[in-house]
Amino acid sequence: MLRGSLAIWQRDMLILRRSIISELVAVVAYPLTIYLAFGIGMQSYIGLVDGAPYSMFIAPGLITMTAVSAAYNESVWSLWFHRRVQFTIESYRVTPISVSEIVIAKIFTGFTHGIIKGCAVGLVIYAITPFRFPLEHLLQYLLFLIPGSALFSCAGIISGTVMDKPETIGKVEAVLVMPLIFMSGLFFPLSSYPPSVVSWVRALPTTALFEGARRALVAGEMLPLAALQVALSSMVAFVAAVYIFRYKMSE
Amino acid sequence: MQTAAIVTRSLTKSYGELTALDSFDLEVEQGSIFGLLGPNGAGKTTLIRILTTLMRPSSGDAFIEGLDSRSKGRDIRSMIGVVSQENSLDRYLTARENLELHARLHGMEKRLYKHRIDDLLELMGLAGRQKDFPDTFSGGMQRRLVIARALVHQPQVLFLDEPTTGLDPQSRRAVWEYVRSLAGSMTILLTTHYLEEAEQLCDRIAIMDHGRLIAIGSTQELKDRLSGATVYEVEFAGQGADHYAALLGSMPCVIDIKQVENKIAITLECWECLSEIVTALNGAPVRRISLQERTLEDVFISLTGQKVRE
Repeated sequence: MLRGSLAIWQRDMLILRRSIISELVAVVAYPLTIYLAFGIGMQSYIGLVDGAPYSMFIAPGLITMTAVSAAYNESVWSLWFHRRVQFTIESYRVTPISVSEIVIAKIFTGFTHGIIKGCAVGLVIYAITPFRFPLEHLLQYLLFLIPGSALFSCAGIISGTVMDKPETIGKVEAVLVMPLIFMSGLFFPLSSYPPSVVSWVRALPTTALFEGARRALVAGEMLPLAALQVALSSMVAFVAAVYIFRYKMSE
Repeated sequence: MQTAAIVTRSLTKSYGELTALDSFDLEVEQGSIFGLLGPNGAGKTTLIRILTTLMRPSSGDAFIEGLDSRSKGRDIRSMIGVVSQENSLDRYLTARENLELHARLHGMEKRLYKHRIDDLLELMGLAGRQKDFPDTFSGGMQRRLVIARALVHQPQVLFLDEPTTGLDPQSRRAVWEYVRSLAGSMTILLTTHYLEEAEQLCDRIAIMDHGRLIAIGSTQELKDRLSGATVYEVEFAGQGADHYAALLGSMPCVIDIKQVENKIAITLECWECLSEIVTALNGAPVRRISLQERTLEDVFISLTGQKVRE
């Protein structure tokens, strides 16, 4: 059933392998710059946040942000490019594979990009900064990172499917995706929000993702409800992505 | 009994108010090369998209090798090859990798597709460039690669949607040669704007317009159906064309007459009228009388009109 998905995913991994160095340099530069500017540069002005130095506070969020952004960007641009520019989606569709197999392949590709790039940023931060975490926390952290990357990959698929113009994709990223990431407690604790807003912010799956991932990586603390929220959101996004892609292709 | 490779019955596709295909009936014989002609917006691409299962019809039926396009999409796609108008090559994969991906999407095992791809690259003259990326290829080479990709899984029906658009004459003729070499081994449905291409390659041709089939037959049958009229050109040596144009124009069997300098083109009701013309020209300084062959383009224009379509 997933023969087609595997073939397309293998194709995408071949392309990633060929450009892995340039991809990683580009993907590591941005969060590392933020880490150095805010985590190191602003640390002395900010002091402790939730009992941890500011550089420790933002590091897990930056790793998570890299992973989910990479998953979103790979999915949205890859799907748009293959659908609107290169027409490869059409060439896949005249082979005996289903539309669902194509979308599943693209979701897995985005997800794989997210995991690889998130890990790369994690390793670089680990190597060149004083940020440390016990390795046993990694497993709990992955319980957030894996569904989180899947969630953003599915979101990317939906955007890449419904948007025909590249500038619209850029606008959605600026207006929706980045605010969702930045407002989810990446750079400041949720307690900074006015009490009337906190419950709304907590309802966002991105908040559950960033908050749960940070607690898991730094403190080894598991937030089961947050993990469940991220997992359920990614499942709903998966079903929606497959449905929307199938619908769009049938038009 | 031989089954038709492609059958459509009352096939209709509407987009809101616009009817792209209107009760379209077609039968394409197995193993033949069938040409589909029509001006822009005639519905050719819509028909191909339905036949290749990329699009569902609003009503009516389409069958490929007896399989219903509505319910047997996957089975149909396993037996067709498609060369779309756009190259749709993967520019991040080499020529060989493009073919390998297609083979894997068709569920072919490596031991089977390896030799098949070697053969196809050789046949298409691309063996020496198999490790290069399509962006570095000429338009003709890219087109040959797309055709090779459509043939990897040895389809029974091949759809060629304007396969030579944008190619130079040499590359176009090279593609024609490949298509000709496939004749008989599979059914080929070809759409084209080049009437010469249809004339050169196709056993039968259908002309469609406004989503409807308006004529079908061999090239000769279509030319014969244009009208019973026959056009002869008479060239005069020196003066006399004016006088004879007026004389011939008054004859009842002459439908139309046009004069350009010392040449006149005479449209006759039927070829039998020629003897009357020859008698009338007795003693005239005639240098040459020739029959003007009707071309497929004449047929096409007469059926679809001269107006440019948006």
